[in-house]
Amino acid sequence: MSSNLKILLIDDDKDFRASVKSLLENDGYAVFEADSGREGLRKVVECKPDVIVLDIMMECDVEGYGVNQAIKYQDLYAEYRNIPIVMTSSIELTPDERFPMAGELDMIRPDFYLTKPLDIPKFLDIVHRAAALCPSHGEA
Amino acid sequence: MSEGAEQETIVVIDDDYAMRLSCRKILSKMGFRVEAFEDGGQGLEGVTKLKPSLVVVDLKMPGISGMEVVTRIHEVRPEIVLVVITGYPTIDTAVGAMKCGAYDFLPKPFSPDELRLIVNRGLERRRLMQETRQCEVERALLRRRFITFVSHQLQTPLVAVHQYLDVLKHLDNTESAAKRQEWLDRCLKRTEELQALIKDWLSLARIEGESFSRQWVKADLQRIIAEILCTYKEMAAANGVSLESRIPENTYFVKGDGNCLSVIFDNLIVNAIKYNKPGGMVTISAESLGGEVAIAVADTGVGIPEKYRPFLFEEFFRVEAEGHEKTPGTGLGLSICRRLVTEMGGSISVDSEVNVGSTFRVRLLEYRAQTEEEEKKGAQDDLRSGKDIDCGRRP
Repeated sequence: MSSNLKILLIDDDKDFRASVKSLLENDGYAVFEADSGREGLRKVVECKPDVIVLDIMMECDVEGYGVNQAIKYQDLYAEYRNIPIVMTSSIELTPDERFPMAGELDMIRPDFYLTKPLDIPKFLDIVHRAAALCPSHGEA
Repeated sequence: MSEGAEQETIVVIDDDYAMRLSCRKILSKMGFRVEAFEDGGQGLEGVTKLKPSLVVVDLKMPGISGMEVVTRIHEVRPEIVLVVITGYPTIDTAVGAMKCGAYDFLPKPFSPDELRLIVNRGLERRRLMQETRQCEVERALLRRRFITFVSHQLQTPLVAVHQYLDVLKHLDNTESAAKRQEWLDRCLKRTEELQALIKDWLSLARIEGESFSRQWVKADLQRIIAEILCTYKEMAAANGVSLESRIPENTYFVKGDGNCLSVIFDNLIVNAIKYNKPGGMVTISAESLGGEVAIAVADTGVGIPEKYRPFLFEEFFRVEAEGHEKTPGTGLGLSICRRLVTEMGGSISVDSEVNVGSTFRVRLLEYRAQTEEEEKKGAQDDLRSGKDIDCGRRP
């Protein structure tokens, strides 16, 4: 059941957000948006989503990885650590392939990585799987 | 003892005490820190510890020979300049020393001037080689940044359009007609932006490449500006902005290329209209300033915050209003302006106050009528000296 599940969409391209929001809403999700890493982190705390769809946001100095790192490693966001992150990018290389020697690789590796434009059936399937990973509601 | 941040060290290796002493005197007077050693072994240790820029080494020494010292230093630290001195100079030893890595060869006895000359030349060469290496690194970084930027800038609008169309297909008419129209409009808009970006990018590439013809002729400023204002009359009116050129006819002529000047002022005037307020004004004026013509494009617009000014002319830089969507445009306009202006021997700058407006000032070389003789002579001089005009590589 997709109803009641919340997706937070963090992407600086408003057109991309518009089309993906409609797509997800059509599948029964409630969708929240943010247009930057900073706003994204604010919305995580505000809405407590079940899945985060996060763009790499290269224009803002790869802000996407910053969000990833914050959620998974900073104490400030410990409560949200288990929210699965689906990272999107127009670059085809995964973080592991792009930064094979990086020490911080563990910190910036998302749960799922998809290239844009999104393959719609694949995307919906991954969001569905990600939502299933998230701890169920009702727990404090 | 004052030690400048850039003080370089020179090591002298010679078993002759008098030679060490005089080298030390000459070289320290030049401002170098000098350390002297009496044999090859100590000398090598000293070089390892002190990391000098240059080493003066005598060929004939007991123990480790000068040639051996040269070979070893060159192997491990090839960036150190090696000057070989000897009382028994022969062509063979000279060649041999060079082959082992010496920069130059100085036969004894030598005058202080001769030593100074060789040291200066050697260090100059070292500096140039370091600069070259640095340039190569910078170039590789810039190239990578360029590729990433371009692929991202080009990909993003295409991705947005593709996603819209793909989702429309997937949702199969479940979206309202109004929403579908809106999305199709956005697709068109993004595609247009992409085309504009490619056009600007090619302009920029053409400016940097050889295909750019650099024929500077007499250009009539007033006419060029007037034409541009005519082009944007309707757009300005739609934005509630009034346009005014205060440039008198037949007064200001600059040395440049008509097309380039059109591009420059087109960019500035469009910006002045776009970033303006309803009821605002765009005013273009000019004045003569010691061999140059200074043109001002002033608007009564939103202004540019101080913190963005250093980046204004950078590629893809766009001022973002907090909380608003990204401002339209390719982000290349001002970068192109700057390149073109610089190519023509001019300069561009901006004054701005937030919420009051901005004034972009372009200075260009004033066209001076030369006699036919002077022009011919100029052309001949260029040919003789093999002068080649460099493009776009000014600091």
